[in-house]
Amino acid sequence: MKRVWVLFKSEFKVWRHDPITAFGGILPPAFILIAFALLFGGRLSFKVAVVNLDQGTLGGVLRQSFDQVISPLSNAPYYLAQDMNLNEAMGAYERYQVEGIWVIPPDFTDSVVSGEKPALEMYFFNYNDDRAKNHRIYSAEILWHFYKQIGYPEPPLEIAEQYPLPVMVDWVPVIAVGVALLSVCLGSIFNIYALTYKEQISHMTLEFGLAPRSLAWVLIPKVVLALIFGLVSGSLFLIVIDLWIGFWPGDYIWGFWLLSGLTALFWIGLAIVAGLRSRNYMAGAIAIVLTAIIVFFIGGGLGLIRYHAEDVQWYSWLFPNTHAIDPIRDLVLFNTWPVDWNATLAKLIGFAVLSLFFGMTLTARWLRRLD
Amino acid sequence: MKRFTLLLKNEFKLFRTTIPVHLIGIFQPALMFSLMALVLVTPTFDMQVARSGDPLGDDLIRAMEQVGSPIGQPYINPILVESFPGQEIQGGQLIEFIWQAERPTALQRFGLIDSNMVKNFRNRLTAAALLLWNESLGDKAVVIEEAPWLPRDIPYSVYFGMAMMPLAANLAASLIGAYLSAQEFEFKTIIEYRLSPVSMYQVTGARLLRLALTGLLSGLVLMVVIGITTGIWPVSAGWVVLILFCVALIGGCIGTLAGLYFQKVLPAFLVGLALSFFTWIMGSAFGLAAGFSGPYEAVSRFMPNTYAVELLFPLYYQVNIGSRLPAILILTFACLLFILATLITYWRKVLVVRK
Repeated sequence: MKRVWVLFKSEFKVWRHDPITAFGGILPPAFILIAFALLFGGRLSFKVAVVNLDQGTLGGVLRQSFDQVISPLSNAPYYLAQDMNLNEAMGAYERYQVEGIWVIPPDFTDSVVSGEKPALEMYFFNYNDDRAKNHRIYSAEILWHFYKQIGYPEPPLEIAEQYPLPVMVDWVPVIAVGVALLSVCLGSIFNIYALTYKEQISHMTLEFGLAPRSLAWVLIPKVVLALIFGLVSGSLFLIVIDLWIGFWPGDYIWGFWLLSGLTALFWIGLAIVAGLRSRNYMAGAIAIVLTAIIVFFIGGGLGLIRYHAEDVQWYSWLFPNTHAIDPIRDLVLFNTWPVDWNATLAKLIGFAVLSLFFGMTLTARWLRRLD
Repeated sequence: MKRFTLLLKNEFKLFRTTIPVHLIGIFQPALMFSLMALVLVTPTFDMQVARSGDPLGDDLIRAMEQVGSPIGQPYINPILVESFPGQEIQGGQLIEFIWQAERPTALQRFGLIDSNMVKNFRNRLTAAALLLWNESLGDKAVVIEEAPWLPRDIPYSVYFGMAMMPLAANLAASLIGAYLSAQEFEFKTIIEYRLSPVSMYQVTGARLLRLALTGLLSGLVLMVVIGITTGIWPVSAGWVVLILFCVALIGGCIGTLAGLYFQKVLPAFLVGLALSFFTWIMGSAFGLAAGFSGPYEAVSRFMPNTYAVELLFPLYYQVNIGSRLPAILILTFACLLFILATLITYWRKVLVVRK
């Protein structure tokens, strides 16, 4: 035990020499979180120009609908409508200062009142089919509200909604939890590399190969320290999320540490193989860090996956992050115990054990090979 | 010039000593696009509808099947399911046909509270219910005459891939630049540069040119992957090369600056990585910057990727958004600024001898 403690203390000193790498789990996730908060945290209303040429009153009622119909996303209107004349609107559209134009014709009120096929023109950008889709389905929300406002006959089918919880969660908190898990993983990966770098530079791997005792004495302190720093990085992220967005796991923090820690152990097992092989040291570091970032994107980092698991590709399920992310969101965002806790725990333990076993066995075999 | 050519050749020979690093730097963005393109949002959503004996329920299903783009994909794939009390909601939501306040109602029961998904499901149901309403109104129904910008809706993966090309160019140049520059300090080979009579302009120029070409290669690999997977190619490969070269040059400068400052491989790599992803996400990665919030657009104006995407856009979509000249000037200015910063830092960190 004393030997482990000595090694533990000696490894600990590495951080003093390279604090930036020790916080490798902080810098890239922080940049990613800030970028996504700016991207999806602001008002996501579509900027459109409304050209109201109507000589009656209903064009104005329609215009008001743009400000009155509220999207659940960021609780703002679907459209950020700006009144313009046709020339201004076309100019802004061509310069992409607005995403679309609604033209309400001069006879709009007359044709609505007389029931003579009232029509509107909607210009919109369709450079990507997702935004084009939004233009089309947002317009349905506007017309629905407009019909209700002008007292049209009741629709043949009303619509109503029912939610499982009284609160709604926006995009940024969902992404922020994904980033917290990424932080734990990257923190662990970078620390494994920081803890093996000294051996690479001073060619100490040969001494490891000649060591009379089991290499587990060398590897276990590195694994434990990397895991601790990964968890510290992730916990710092949780504090940021709490202060910034207002979500904190409370008593469930142990659940967060357990699930994210097991996920990190999977990555540590992969990283340690490259970390102690000098020939592929940096290539391994780059490959594993980039893979972890890719897994963040394809493994539910940007959205809940439990409800459309069928859209998740098979390769995403090969990484523990995909299994862990929604249960972690349950703990952090909703302060509830995940319904699939036991199954998730079993899978993550399996990933961690397999990765560490093969990672450490391969590393030990390569270190022992002295040719 | 001969000396510069020799330096450049030497830079490229370094490739042999770090083949895995180069291969990963060059090909990883293309791999990332290939994997991410398969999980990108698609307009068609599966929506579960509880089976009902009422004819209105059948009408709703028919209307749901009609909601979609006339020049693209359908937006709803209705899936009929049996419903029962206490049922767990699969797929995010379940639409049940009920009577509420003596009115027939489509009750959308959500199994989630993710505001973006709620919005998406809600909008689709409203669009289907509006179709029924319009049918019942006959000539009183308001018709929206669509005038889309392009003759067909372009899949999101095309834009996403195009906006990822500057990331590919930047990331490869930045990571390899950080690695090579920091290694010079770790292996003490920086002393040779320090003692060399060759001007710093030639040494730095050869390094940056080689990094820019490496980044450019990564961007072009991604261009080929996008072309193969989507069938859409830029109208001018020459312009693509010029634009990506500029971005790669900036990436090479960022990597070299990180290496010169930190003089250790891992922190230099870390900084290069973080900045590459930040400039990508902030540089119109998920849509043209002007289409997002004011603060996002304001920050994105400081990202070279934003201008690169604006210049790549007409090459892929064959339509202009405003004038290209400001983007060309800003990108050129950014290149010159980063080269200057790299030269000054090289002079301070390598040539100035500290006592």
